[in-house]
Amino acid sequence: MASKRAAEGPADSFNPAKKSRKGKDDEDYAETDNLDAVEIQSPPDTPSTTRGAKINVSALTRKLAEARHARVQEEAHQESSLTAHRRQQDALVSHIFHDLDFSWLHLKPDHASRPLWISPEDGHIILEAFSPIAEQAQDFLVAISEPVSRPAFIHEYKLTHYSLYAAVSVGLQTEDIIEVLNRLSKVPVPDSIADYIRERTLSYGKVKLVLKHNRYFVESSHPETLQILLKDKIIREARVHTQVVDTSIRAATFTTSKAPVKGSLVIPGIKEGEKKKDDLLTNGKNGSKTDAELFTSVVGVDNDEVDEDDDNVHAFEIDDAKIDDVKKRCNELEYPMLEEYDFRNDTVNANLDIDLKPSTVIRSYQETSLSKMFGNGRARSGIIVLPCGAGKTLVGITAACTIKKSCLVLCTSSVSVMQWRQQFMQWSNVTDKQIAVFTAESKEKFAGESGIVVSTYSMVANTHNRSHESKKMMEFLTSREWGFILLDEVHVVPAAMFRRVVTTIKAHAKLGLTATLVREDDKIADLNYMIGPKLYEANWMDLAAKGHIANVQCAEVWCPMTPEFYREYLREQSRKRMLLYCMNPKKFQACQFLIKYHEDRGDKIIVFSDNVYALEAYAKKLGKLYIHGGTGQTERMRILQWFQHSPEVNTIFLSKVGDTSIDLPEATCLIQISSHFGSRRQEAQRLGRILRAKRRNDEGFNAFFYSLVSKDTQEMFYSTKRQQFLIDQGYAFKVITHLDGLDDLPSLVYKSRDEQIELLSSVLLANESEADLGTDVRAGEGDLAGTITSKDFGMPTKMPAVQRTTGSLTALSGAQHMSYVEQNKSANKRLAREVAPRHKLFAKRDKDKATARKEARKP
Amino acid sequence: MKAIRGVLLTCDSAVKQILLTLNERENFIIEDLDDFHVVIKADEEYRVRRELEAELEKNTYSLE
Repeated sequence: MASKRAAEGPADSFNPAKKSRKGKDDEDYAETDNLDAVEIQSPPDTPSTTRGAKINVSALTRKLAEARHARVQEEAHQESSLTAHRRQQDALVSHIFHDLDFSWLHLKPDHASRPLWISPEDGHIILEAFSPIAEQAQDFLVAISEPVSRPAFIHEYKLTHYSLYAAVSVGLQTEDIIEVLNRLSKVPVPDSIADYIRERTLSYGKVKLVLKHNRYFVESSHPETLQILLKDKIIREARVHTQVVDTSIRAATFTTSKAPVKGSLVIPGIKEGEKKKDDLLTNGKNGSKTDAELFTSVVGVDNDEVDEDDDNVHAFEIDDAKIDDVKKRCNELEYPMLEEYDFRNDTVNANLDIDLKPSTVIRSYQETSLSKMFGNGRARSGIIVLPCGAGKTLVGITAACTIKKSCLVLCTSSVSVMQWRQQFMQWSNVTDKQIAVFTAESKEKFAGESGIVVSTYSMVANTHNRSHESKKMMEFLTSREWGFILLDEVHVVPAAMFRRVVTTIKAHAKLGLTATLVREDDKIADLNYMIGPKLYEANWMDLAAKGHIANVQCAEVWCPMTPEFYREYLREQSRKRMLLYCMNPKKFQACQFLIKYHEDRGDKIIVFSDNVYALEAYAKKLGKLYIHGGTGQTERMRILQWFQHSPEVNTIFLSKVGDTSIDLPEATCLIQISSHFGSRRQEAQRLGRILRAKRRNDEGFNAFFYSLVSKDTQEMFYSTKRQQFLIDQGYAFKVITHLDGLDDLPSLVYKSRDEQIELLSSVLLANESEADLGTDVRAGEGDLAGTITSKDFGMPTKMPAVQRTTGSLTALSGAQHMSYVEQNKSANKRLAREVAPRHKLFAKRDKDKATARKEARKP
Repeated sequence: MKAIRGVLLTCDSAVKQILLTLNERENFIIEDLDDFHVVIKADEEYRVRRELEAELEKNTYSLE
């Protein structure tokens, strides 16, 4: 934002004037406007000015200048002293901005019609998203830079090495990037930025890492480049000498072969007729023809073919164990290696005969992301970022079906292993025999020469002693050459583990999938050289506008702490603090009110609580069904079925188990009462629960996302932190300080002070361990830290404390003149044992179906 | 009896609870009137305000 503020300097110039020269501020203000007006009226000298833009400019000028038109004419003769004025004004404001003073960047005469600001210092680019050509600009910016923040009107992007690397790897040319940037920018592209782009892009894409016959080669069409690389110590040491090599003979040391030739490639699932690229062209009204052409040539997916002038490529082999060091080193030397896989001409590895089912149709943004990956007929390695619920899995499956080679899928937990397997079966025509699962429980191999293996990161990266079976399985995995490796949820995998995976498994192409490319520790950069550049990042707001994901209204509800609770909160230093702000009676009331309100609207509500103690207390008090890790499988299924089919059950309480592993497309409203500290990822994951709402395409439909926060507690801090990711995606959180009609609600819980105090004493009596989050979900073997089943989201773990208490046997057995009566019964128990009642119509149909099936089974 | 110069503070219930906790460490409250009002020693006012500010700031997340 720095550049924006700085660039807007002249407009703000009346501020310091006010301070320094009180009397003159009026005059200064007039002068500023005058300057702008004069500038705009001067004939635009750049030929690229669009027609629409001209109209825009004149309209704008008229609006701006009308009020002060008289004065403008009066002072028009001062144009000669324009530069002097400017200097004067610059001097007035520059001291405010210190290092960030960019007033020396002069606006172009027609700047109003151009949407970009570029900061010469750090490569930040600010986009005015309300500009008529913003959409085109956005496509371009996504290709060359990383989105930092994309709220409704002003977007922020950043040029980085990796983003430029990605831009070149999808085939953009250096000068084109600068040219387009210049056209869109309000100020001429600063030299520092142009140099930066040139410097970064020059060497990119010259070196390739190729896997041939299970051996890695560094390949380049420029032998000089290879020489440069070989001068580096690390790379030289990693080199494998296959033949008798005399390094003094230069060119002979490289193996030389023909460069592969590209051809046409169709990604399955895309109907040719649906192939639209009009996104870029429809805005013809605003952009002139030349602009549009330039955009397609730069942004378009069809033209991004890498130049292959030189038919001969040179290569040298490197040791697979050192592959990672070499990659890192190459990045440091600014010769990052492209990893491409020419899968169609790969005759060594057996083809896998899979395809998407004919009924499977992929959406336009999924297609765009895949076209970035397969842009030149070969598979590029990289990362695709799509929101939760936008069909990441399908993108991965489509990619696998395009490559049609043996494929290894790695996910974070054994739960998602089963989900991936099931999704593969659902979307593609892969057979049972072709897909195998490798987890702690089951170690299968696929039949035939090629197939798909689904496993977890830790199963593959494990270096400790393994069982005989898994050792054999690992041998199987490492001995073969994989066409494609799919890495799910790449952001959670620790770098060291990743390195082991990447070095032990030999794969031609790698695709990383994620919804939230954020880490609580900033290790994202590591992914860039281990997998590849970010190929595509979807804009959440765009997808919501097009109806692919639901529109969500986010709100943070502030619940004041009752004095008694707050008193204890302040005195308590342990983890129990958390229990106190979760169990705040006002929060209970807010939760009850929101549930009532949304049930009356006909919404289906999920209430999330990480804290199991709070979950049970809330659900029991409010008489709702709940599921946590301790809930048995049959009970769980029964509850879910009721929630899905019965109009009587509209609310369920879920613990962490619901974060990912339970899919509930019926839910349209989500209330969060307790969450995992400041985890931005969990917030995004939870939002993802309602993004795929079934009813999202109903007109005017909104899903609701509430976070209940106890005021004046740590929760406020965490809540704001959690929201940062979603805010960067363009979501706005409304703050609700008071729920209207809350006090009038009949049967409001914990209304009287006595009840509140009773609740407080029960909270204080609870064990400290009750305050732990997600205690109900046991992590399976091989689940990673940071996934739903693990307790920690990248935070240090505390060992569960064992408590020893003394008591008399009579007291412990409850025989001290006491009899126990449970008043606060779980609503789960009240649920009838049978499945949710279905309408007679369906019951009849079910019966018919069953008989038909029986008939069919008879020979 | 010696007269003490006091200041009447009006606050919400949460802030009052914080004040009560601060008071435990160093006595400055003269009279606890009701849920929203306390009278404190006038010379302590500045310090109390500063400590209160620090306490509340702990719960605010900033980007830096």
